[in-house]
Amino acid sequence: MRRWDLIVIGTGLAGLTAARTAIEMGARVLIVGRGMGSLVLFGNTIDVLGAIPPGVDLEAGVTNWIAAHPDHPYARTGWAGIAEALVAFRELFPPPYSFVAAGMSNSLVPTGAGTLRPTYLLPVTMRAGAGITAAETLIVGFRGFKDFQGDTVSLHLKCRGVNIPLPRYGLEGLSALALARLMDEEPFRNSLGEVIRSQKAGEKRIGLPAVLGLREPAAVMEDLEGIIGARVFEIPMLPPSIPGVRIFNRFREHLIAKGATFLMGNPVTGATVKDGRCEGITICNPPLETTYRAESYILATGRFLGGGLWADMERVSEPLFHLPVSQPTMRGDWFQERFFQPEAHPIHRAGIVTDMALRPVDEEGKTVLSNVWVAGSILARHEAIEEHSREGIAIATGYLAAKRALTL
Amino acid sequence: MTHAGETRTPSHTLPDVCVRCATCMAVCPVARVTPRFPGPKQAGPGAQRFRSAAEASVDDWIELCTSCRLCDTVCPAGVPISELNLLAKAKYLDERGRTFRDWLLVRSDLFGEMAARFSRIVNPLMKNRAVRWLLDRVLEIDRRRALPDYEYPTFREWFRTRPAVTDSGSRPRIAYFHGCFTNTNEVDVGKAAVALLEAHGFAVDVPPQRCCGIPRLGVGDLQGAKEMGGRNLASLLPTVQEGTDIVFSSTSCGLMLRHEYGPLLNLPGAEELARHLFDICEYLLRLREEGKTDVTFRPNPMKAAYFAPCHLKSLNIGLPALELLRLVPGLDIHLIEMDCCGLGGLYGFKKEKYAITEDIGRDLAVEVARIDPEVILSDCEGCRMQIRQLTKRTVLHPIQFLRDALPQPIAGFSPTSP
Repeated sequence: MRRWDLIVIGTGLAGLTAARTAIEMGARVLIVGRGMGSLVLFGNTIDVLGAIPPGVDLEAGVTNWIAAHPDHPYARTGWAGIAEALVAFRELFPPPYSFVAAGMSNSLVPTGAGTLRPTYLLPVTMRAGAGITAAETLIVGFRGFKDFQGDTVSLHLKCRGVNIPLPRYGLEGLSALALARLMDEEPFRNSLGEVIRSQKAGEKRIGLPAVLGLREPAAVMEDLEGIIGARVFEIPMLPPSIPGVRIFNRFREHLIAKGATFLMGNPVTGATVKDGRCEGITICNPPLETTYRAESYILATGRFLGGGLWADMERVSEPLFHLPVSQPTMRGDWFQERFFQPEAHPIHRAGIVTDMALRPVDEEGKTVLSNVWVAGSILARHEAIEEHSREGIAIATGYLAAKRALTL
Repeated sequence: MTHAGETRTPSHTLPDVCVRCATCMAVCPVARVTPRFPGPKQAGPGAQRFRSAAEASVDDWIELCTSCRLCDTVCPAGVPISELNLLAKAKYLDERGRTFRDWLLVRSDLFGEMAARFSRIVNPLMKNRAVRWLLDRVLEIDRRRALPDYEYPTFREWFRTRPAVTDSGSRPRIAYFHGCFTNTNEVDVGKAAVALLEAHGFAVDVPPQRCCGIPRLGVGDLQGAKEMGGRNLASLLPTVQEGTDIVFSSTSCGLMLRHEYGPLLNLPGAEELARHLFDICEYLLRLREEGKTDVTFRPNPMKAAYFAPCHLKSLNIGLPALELLRLVPGLDIHLIEMDCCGLGGLYGFKKEKYAITEDIGRDLAVEVARIDPEVILSDCEGCRMQIRQLTKRTVLHPIQFLRDALPQPIAGFSPTSP
């Protein structure tokens, strides 16, 4: 039976980061996911801690935040751990399609709902969207492309917006992926650029749905900028997220090139645990069940959508290792009174509590499994949605979990 | 202690498990090139909620699904999307009736042996422009699609008549499922499989076998697929019951035998067969990891590109061929980072679908041009056919390349010259 040094369970940003960190350390890595992971859903920019206002130095902001939130996953990594992991992440995306920050602090970028959202690292194709003003911005959607309405987005941003026809007949109803593929073709993007230029009325920045190509997005942006004569930026929108697919593909390509084994499409249905150690996990591809073994395991299975956490009518549980889940005492305490209110719903803070090394612990703080580490959004005591910390937590804890798992 | 995992949900309730996250929309090769197919989310669980056994099918685009199953491999909710599509397609075609062309194409196993025997007549005939025009007009087999040549002697014929291996009695036995295409159209793949297995110390059996049945699934003929499966189980089960493992070299045949005979077709004995059935590269890699082989490969300083077939992703065994190829010293091996070659098996031969398969394949051709390899390697005969047509380059099964990299030339095997 083949043995790996590390098995990473979960193909979201946390799992991919952990696998990549481990493989750079020379480990034999198996990464498994029941599906493609959350990058395709939410992956766009890299939020670290959007709760820190733009203009405030992020290092100082996060350091203060950690002091005030000693239970937060960031208290396990510290600012130094976050910074180190972000450097490693950025190294995976060399120019031209790189990730950049607006100085040392957060910036506000427009969303597909027409709101402004704080974030830290942006792919270069979104850089010109940071700090837009209404007077100089034009939002462009495509007729027949249902996932992004230029005029609705612009209405909320209080700037001008148009929905233009696509340059080729018969493209109405195309998916985001199909559009991204067409953008990779020079003739298509050139003629699209001409249409956009004809719509421009002196605006200096043009916002488009985030479908500017899969293969060479930076070149797509530059070509469009050249033709239109204005800065061009992508606006994140509904899933599937093309920028998320780019991140996923880059990680997968890198991991496979470095010798990692990638298994995707079947759930991990069981784990064998003996004397506080995981001895193997089972993957079910009907009618076969196969057991995979490693020295160490990283659990990065996400929350409710990814299947890392499971809620029945009364309790939240972790279905694979049956780890203790920190959660409100009663179901009645799961939610705030109203769906949209500024304070996080208490259930958002539910998850797995760990020691400083990210190993799961019980209510008394005792380590439950000695060779399992936990990373990403499944961790307890963060409010990733409200504090805008989703990708930062994934990258920083994925990185730390792999380091700890391999240097025990 | 072993934790029991999730219990299986009956598939008719599974559309409701879909959370409409649209991950499948990021990989579907058909939706990538045409708005005529609404994509897995809509065609599978979306439309399934409105389908009823008692009502006639309304969605004619269901036929545009190629059954590549990439959607299944990315779904975070475990929805059997391609199975829902397949069942809807079967119902649609049951109601509408299948064309003579479809009836004929899925029975290539019946006339393959005969075509191989008369390959010197059949091959030029199938390249004749008038014949292709006729096939195009009458049967709607697209004339732009290159038809594969037939070869004689067939693999089975070659295997039956070759000199016996001298020490075969003392060697561990292994059985080989070659599939129809290897038997009559790409005999060298079968020869390579036998050579590699023998180089690894096995005595090779070739049990009686029929078409795996996956072409019939492609036209929604579940009953036909079941019949083929039943016949194969009857001849393959005794082999595994004797304790002999079976390896396959065709990804799609392997997927059909291993994962459809049981879960989809409910054939008795399917699970027992599946437990002893392996992809040939998966098997050889496993031997290596268990320290049961010391076979090494000769250096070959070529630039090669490997393409992973969609059905290999559904087998979910990683990329064993790529891992074996990395053991060839000096080989500069690149993974082609592209989903789906576009052929979809017999799908790509049909006139009304040819443009879709060409469009999907174009992305792959661009990637190949960027890598510019001397040889392209892929486990699936459909992918190989499509890549040959798209790129006009040499395309081999990885085991052909590995066979040629074995230390000593094997008696009775001519190396493939790329």
